[in-house]
Amino acid sequence: MASATAQRPARTGGNRGARVRRREGIAGWGFALPFLLVFAVFMAGPVLASFAMSFTDLRSADLRDPLGVNPIGLDNYVKLFGDDTFRQAALNTAYFVVVGIPLTMVLGLAAAVGLDAGITRFRTFFRVGYYLPVVTSIVAIAVVWRLLLEPESGIVNTLLGYLGIDGPNWLTDTRTAMPALIVMAAWRNMGFLMVIFLAGLQAIPRDLYEAAAMDGSNAWSRFRHVTLPMMRPTLLFGGVITGIGYLQFFEEPFVMTQGGPLDKTLSVAFYIYNQFGFGNYSYAAAISYVLFIAILVLTLVQFRLLRSKT
Amino acid sequence: MKHLRYATALVVALALGVTGCGRDEGGSGSGGQPAGKEIAAGKAKGEITVWAMGAEGEKLTELAADFSKENPEAKVNVTAFPFDAAHDKIATAIAGRQTPDVSMMGTTWMGEFAKTGAIDSTPTGLFDKSKFFEGAWNTTVVDGTSYGVPWYVETRLIFHRKDLAAKAGLQKPTTWQHFTEFANGMKDKGGAKWGAYLQPGGTGSWQSFMPFAWQAGADIMQDGKFTLDTPEMQKALEYYASFFKQGLSPTQLAPGAMETGFVKGEIGAFVSGPWHMGILREQGGAAIEGKWDVAQMPREKAGTSFIGGSDLVVFKDSKNRDAAWKFVQFLTTPAAQQKLYDLVGSLPSVQESWQSGKLADDPFLQAFGEQLKDAKSAPAIATWEQVADVIDDGIERVVRGVSDPATATKEMQAKASSIGTGS
Repeated sequence: MASATAQRPARTGGNRGARVRRREGIAGWGFALPFLLVFAVFMAGPVLASFAMSFTDLRSADLRDPLGVNPIGLDNYVKLFGDDTFRQAALNTAYFVVVGIPLTMVLGLAAAVGLDAGITRFRTFFRVGYYLPVVTSIVAIAVVWRLLLEPESGIVNTLLGYLGIDGPNWLTDTRTAMPALIVMAAWRNMGFLMVIFLAGLQAIPRDLYEAAAMDGSNAWSRFRHVTLPMMRPTLLFGGVITGIGYLQFFEEPFVMTQGGPLDKTLSVAFYIYNQFGFGNYSYAAAISYVLFIAILVLTLVQFRLLRSKT
Repeated sequence: MKHLRYATALVVALALGVTGCGRDEGGSGSGGQPAGKEIAAGKAKGEITVWAMGAEGEKLTELAADFSKENPEAKVNVTAFPFDAAHDKIATAIAGRQTPDVSMMGTTWMGEFAKTGAIDSTPTGLFDKSKFFEGAWNTTVVDGTSYGVPWYVETRLIFHRKDLAAKAGLQKPTTWQHFTEFANGMKDKGGAKWGAYLQPGGTGSWQSFMPFAWQAGADIMQDGKFTLDTPEMQKALEYYASFFKQGLSPTQLAPGAMETGFVKGEIGAFVSGPWHMGILREQGGAAIEGKWDVAQMPREKAGTSFIGGSDLVVFKDSKNRDAAWKFVQFLTTPAAQQKLYDLVGSLPSVQESWQSGKLADDPFLQAFGEQLKDAKSAPAIATWEQVADVIDDGIERVVRGVSDPATATKEMQAKASSIGTGS
């Protein structure tokens, strides 16, 4: 009732108010129109078309006549779960995500805490140093890392050689290829998280730390009971962003290993890329939607785990 | 909720739209077309758009200029782009019906693109297929119809260190058994760390492996069905893997390490194509000048090698079909093919081009020319790239000892059969 009476004055304002509002509405839509058109044509259209495509048997041979295909219902999705290579790719991606996200977040947080509290000299230098990999082209990074990991003369194996360890051929050994890529990805992405986490740390009121110190808590317990709870929303953001990126993990194997050895670094996104390359457009579209759902699920799980407990 | 309902309705409508237009059986693009109709006589006229990739693409304008001299009323526009971008660019052009008149086409893409129905079948009477290397001509044939002509070719030989072989008292290998002995000799007496390098798997390793399969009497397909699990295929895979088992070839090698290893004398031999002549001359320089040679593929039941290269095709939507085919015809004349060799070093697909000039004088090139007479290509099927990936995978599994040849060939056959031929 209350809301009904509250609205009445606006309505009694007469037709004039409504007309103004309508005109404002039209103007609003007018301003939004360019974006909406671009979005509809280049985003929503292809997204819906590819979704419909995933229920057909469209292949590259149908390029000239893309509508002349047969609907095959869920066949692509059913086929997917019996596909050994896809299962391998899904496992690889899960491995990358499960190890990669925590590693990247710990490294990013460590760098942020270090810069926030410990390192006061050369702060800018370190900040630039950690952030540089984020803005460097993956192609350049690949060249450098391949040199580092080169089995005969690379720095990593040379250093290991001093310790008397015969280092493996990192990128072609089935056991070390994925860990090598995870470390590389963590190094490449930690800078971004560092910047986000640094902002989060600086937003924590200093008096909380003072109060905790007064109560006699040491540095670790201050970190554990003040920093981490206060950082929860920032950590959530970092985890979600990294998770979305890591589930679509593609560039690292693309430039470093081509998915090898024995498909051990083949990611789901890379498999989609391959299937598009083979001309299996509808099948590739189906995998893309499965990956999309996986991203959605991972994000929801993270929201569950890290939401603020108030 | 209302939005969700709209979205669902839209998707259903789209899905229905799709169901509304099913595949018309035996319609366009299902292959088996008659040969293209003849083209008119006389000189070429009008504009011809040509797409070409890599080094050939960059130098094609010089050949086009010669063509324009002979056909003053014709104008050739060449668009050159890198090989990496080529497949997608052609696919997009076909989908958007914006194809050029003529395009260079990788031999292993013929099956896939011919199936789209966008490529014109070769006109009757324009080309004499017996003038081309047989293996090269076969790359243009999809379901019994030819869809273009071979432009340039490449094949694989055994590159080896002549000096190490002499030190070990070895002759050029001629049979499988000799080749194994040769590799062992290179290692034990020649002082090489690795007797003979073979690609241990990864993209394109089928090109290294298939010669051995053909030599054993195996084949990828027969009568439209895959034959990847025959005893001959198993035997070939076992032979190929024996080089790794006996420590004659490394199972892991960083990119570029093969060339430096060969120059240093650490790798005694390897199987590769004509481009490695240039790479060795460039990287080895004077240090290994005259110290290496090439040998024909070893014989088991046959001495077959792999043939690759590029074809030339004319698109169906070409507005200047006659002139387009005339330009293709010009590019396959011995004179134009020899000029292409001079410009970029591509080996001619027409046998006559090999009988004069540089190609006839150079003993290395003559060795390639000889091998080209006994060289096969991948079957021109629409799903080839995917089947090739299956074979690459099988090779890697056997080389790394994850599977034995019997299991690997069975898996290859099962996977290839489930992929099918795309027809």
